[in-house]
Amino acid sequence: MLIASEATLFGAFIGTYFYFRFRAPQWPPDGIPEPRVVVPLILLAVLLAGSIPMHLASQAASAGRVGAARLFVLAALALQAGYFAWAVHDFSAQLQMFDITRDAYSSIYYVLLGAALAHVALGILFDLWLLGKLVRGLTTYRLHATQAIAFYWHAVNVIALVVTLTLLTAAIG
Amino acid sequence: MAIATPPTPAAARRMDRLEVMWQSRPGVLGWLTTTDHKRIGLLYFWTTLVLFGAGGIEAMVMRTQLIQPNNDLVSPGTYDELFTLHGLTMIFFFIIPMTTGAFGNYLIPLMIGARDMAFPRMNALSYWIFLGSAIFLYTSLALGMAPNAGWFDYVPLASKQYTPGHNIDFYALAIIFNSIASTLTAAQFIVTILKSRAPGMSFNRMPLFCFAFLAASFGLLFALPPLSADAIFLFLDRNVGTHFFDPSHGGAALLWQHLFWIFGHPEVYILIVPAFGIATSIIPAFTQRRLVAFPLVAIAELLVVFIGFGVWAHHMFATGMSTTALVFFAGATSMVVIPSTIQVFAWCMSFVLGVARFKTPLLFIAGFIFMFVAGGLTGIMFIAIPFDQQVTDTYFIIAHFHYIIFGAAVFPIFGGMYYWFPKVTGKLYFERPGQISFWLLFVGTNLLFFPMHIVGLLGMTRRIYTYPSNLGWTSYNVIETIGGYITLVGILVLFGNLVWSYLRGLPAGPDPWHGPTLEWTTSSPPPEYDFAVIPRVTSAYPNWDVEDREEDRRKLAGGVLVLDEGHEQVEVTPVDGWLSRVVEMPHDSPWPVLLALCLSLVFVMLLLQHFAIAGLMGILCLLTLLGWHSKEPEAA
Amino acid sequence: MNRLRRGRLAAAVVPLALLAAGCDRKQNALAPASHQSQDIATLFWWMTGVSVVGLAVVIGLLLLAWKRSGRRGAAADTHGSKPGERVGWYVVVIGGVAVPILLITALFVVANLFVIKTTEAPAANSTKRTILVIGHQWWWEVRYPGTSAVTANEIHIPVRTPVRLEVRTADVIHSFWVPELNRKIDTLPGTTNAIELYADAVGRYRGQCAEFCGLQHAHMGIWVDAEPPAKFRQWLAGQSRPAAAPKGALASAGRDAFMTGACADCHQIRGTSATSQVGPDLTHVADRQTLAALTIPNTPSYLHDWIRDSQRFKPGNLMPSFGGLPEQELRELVAYLEELK
Repeated sequence: MLIASEATLFGAFIGTYFYFRFRAPQWPPDGIPEPRVVVPLILLAVLLAGSIPMHLASQAASAGRVGAARLFVLAALALQAGYFAWAVHDFSAQLQMFDITRDAYSSIYYVLLGAALAHVALGILFDLWLLGKLVRGLTTYRLHATQAIAFYWHAVNVIALVVTLTLLTAAIG
Repeated sequence: MAIATPPTPAAARRMDRLEVMWQSRPGVLGWLTTTDHKRIGLLYFWTTLVLFGAGGIEAMVMRTQLIQPNNDLVSPGTYDELFTLHGLTMIFFFIIPMTTGAFGNYLIPLMIGARDMAFPRMNALSYWIFLGSAIFLYTSLALGMAPNAGWFDYVPLASKQYTPGHNIDFYALAIIFNSIASTLTAAQFIVTILKSRAPGMSFNRMPLFCFAFLAASFGLLFALPPLSADAIFLFLDRNVGTHFFDPSHGGAALLWQHLFWIFGHPEVYILIVPAFGIATSIIPAFTQRRLVAFPLVAIAELLVVFIGFGVWAHHMFATGMSTTALVFFAGATSMVVIPSTIQVFAWCMSFVLGVARFKTPLLFIAGFIFMFVAGGLTGIMFIAIPFDQQVTDTYFIIAHFHYIIFGAAVFPIFGGMYYWFPKVTGKLYFERPGQISFWLLFVGTNLLFFPMHIVGLLGMTRRIYTYPSNLGWTSYNVIETIGGYITLVGILVLFGNLVWSYLRGLPAGPDPWHGPTLEWTTSSPPPEYDFAVIPRVTSAYPNWDVEDREEDRRKLAGGVLVLDEGHEQVEVTPVDGWLSRVVEMPHDSPWPVLLALCLSLVFVMLLLQHFAIAGLMGILCLLTLLGWHSKEPEAA
Repeated sequence: MNRLRRGRLAAAVVPLALLAAGCDRKQNALAPASHQSQDIATLFWWMTGVSVVGLAVVIGLLLLAWKRSGRRGAAADTHGSKPGERVGWYVVVIGGVAVPILLITALFVVANLFVIKTTEAPAANSTKRTILVIGHQWWWEVRYPGTSAVTANEIHIPVRTPVRLEVRTADVIHSFWVPELNRKIDTLPGTTNAIELYADAVGRYRGQCAEFCGLQHAHMGIWVDAEPPAKFRQWLAGQSRPAAAPKGALASAGRDAFMTGACADCHQIRGTSATSQVGPDLTHVADRQTLAALTIPNTPSYLHDWIRDSQRFKPGNLMPSFGGLPEQELRELVAYLEELK
């Protein structure tokens, strides 16, 4: 339910992006470089790949194989942390190029990207917490936690996909 | 099961065990750490009443200022704060928390045969966050910088350039803060209504009250995020220098309005749909007949919220949007009328075909129907775009929405207070003063709001702190102010009656009205554990199913579904209501109030623009969440 | 506010009331003076008529319930028999679905496919004259493109001649509304909106800002004067002329005080060195009926008091009070401004 709420929040952000876009004579506006396409897509692939180990972790936990579950969460964490580190670096590099206060494009660009990254950060924290719990063995509660966090990641990944593609539309036409 | 017949010794032993399991801690600490839905409901009730008082005072000061032209009771700046706070308070801090937080929390588990909400600690968290947001907003008033650009706070007036003080920052942050509480409540209700029903209560056997709250909860879940996005954008524009609303840098002033009304229109349905739920609970009890066209009404309650998401720009007909866009939104608005008219006629026919006992609760529902229809008819008038463009932003529209909000939300709330008063307090209210309070309110509100239609057509615009004496508006304003004072007297009589009844009323017993739903099967007030045995349900009017209640008594004696081994509750499948498992519920906990405290600090720091410290407070919140999840429930 | 000021404000009302008594109108949407407002008013009366019938039906049902509530022998419906359910369904479907669909469709077609054609924004170049109105906190700037005429808080139009009114804002969202002539139209930053202004009869029509725009939103009125075409042309020509030179010593001193003092920092008087457009253009201020957007009448004594203490009449408005000015200088200024016809 809460994920639905967050998804709607992103929906509002994305709606805003396109509202600005269809009213703007030029997109991105003068002076702002078009977004790179290849690097963000590779990064996105890395993040989305994390859904696979999370799904496998969820399955392993359901089958009672806590050792396997732990390893899969660790693998997902590695992918997600890797994505996060690179994405943050990218984010601050772009801030040097054009600041958030420049205009409406930069405003919505950084809010969209920042919100997505914040949700990834939160997910990473969830992963760490989960690992801490799974180290001490498996219980029904921890099984549910694993399933819930896996679901969270699938949702975040979908959101990240939509956000990335949205921001990349500025590179078309 | 009604406690009217004394329980067998075995049953009594089980009930004692349950009582021990579900007991709250004593004293203030008990209230601070409570997770009991009834206590949380009462906390919401008292808090929203205080805020209702504040909103009412704001209204009375405005009405007194407007009693004569060129009056000087308050300065223009103060008047602007008054109408802004009045709108914010009544919508976000009275109606929503009173219907969802108070009525919803107290009654939903009782109506579905559950012992508590699905997430009791999150329930407590919602309350403490709500309280924090109310204190946050009203601190602005104490500091002389209350929000002052209207409850819908259009930019660019609300931008830093035109309102540089902290007033609007309070607005933006309070809105986001408050919406967290409502979002959590909405999620809570949806899961509870879908998963915590008594076995046998399939989807079509749910009380209409639950359909209404389910619809409102879905509405809240999807309507609040656009508002939060809007408020985030506003805060960023004002404090960080972004340009979401600044046309000179690619932004748009109308973006605020679109996002606001994408929230705002569903919000008004969220305001009245729970009240519809209250009405559809009271009508069967006081007509002793099942509601006419129950399936149609249930679907209508869901549809009204759903269609309500597509009509938002009818609040923006005068902004110069293209005729095509206007016509589209007028068309969508036309559709949303039908679920409402279905419900009106279903209610009326239930009155006619049953044996109506016009006791105070039903009087309020009759009054509600009248006012809702009157307000709804003017609402239909706004489908005519040119007419809307003539009267929008005038007192005509103030009349419309107050007929709807006061009539269709507040009247059922008052009726519900009387209806469930015996259940919550164990006492009967005094009927005569109850009826008097109804008539005072009915006459008062009609005197107060009806002339507004006229004076709006005569050209009186909204949000003006004074008016000239030569436009013929004065006499209408005088009548309205008198109506306001009569309404005030009605409210005082109402609450005075409830207090006096609490002190001196006769004992009510479990079921004074022969009501249809499950809350009337348990004692008044209900025990901590709500139901000694999880009830058997085979229809939508379980308290009228005598065989099922007999079965419950046998189950209690035999220890079936009593669940007295721990702090336990059932979980069912969402659609058919088949028992799926038994779950262990969390007991009293300090984490909710602590987390709410940390969250409040985040918002205070954001207001003061100490962003780094706000971040630290955010980390504190995460640590609190960690503590919250440190103890795991025992495997059931 | 002390008694003196209250008396003063009350006294402001009397002359305004007298002004209103003439051919002035009252801002009444149900006293239409154009075909647009007439169509809207007609719509309203039909909708009200039908609504009254609808409300009567509902009241009737409730009264019927009350009458029937005393009847004996009706048992509680605890066995699910639902007496009269069929009738109930018929009423709900006919009254709640069929009839509303019919009525609303009719309303929709009439209002949103036909009437809207007269109230929607006129196409550019569809009229012979365009007037530009710019909303400010808390006054209306009025311009006549194609001429050099600029005035404030008063629009003059030739009677029975459609005029395209373009509206913009210099700051926040305002809304232009003269109910007897047409519906309202918001002024949005960064865009220009438009409606048609048309008056059936000669007269002065009142309007005011209809979107909350800050502290003095309540005092942002506007007059629309519909005049015979010849009179209108005469007025427009007069407005287009630069300011007359002051006659007499007092007025000349006043002009000097204006140019060297704070006045010229905000107010333009065409034909002089005062060119700032922050506040209203004062080139022909003496022609106007009121000051401060219909807040007080335009008489020498009110003008004097306004300059000295505008904050008392319109607290929070963007013109500071000039209480420190010597009385003589005030009189000179008033003398000069009173000659600016």
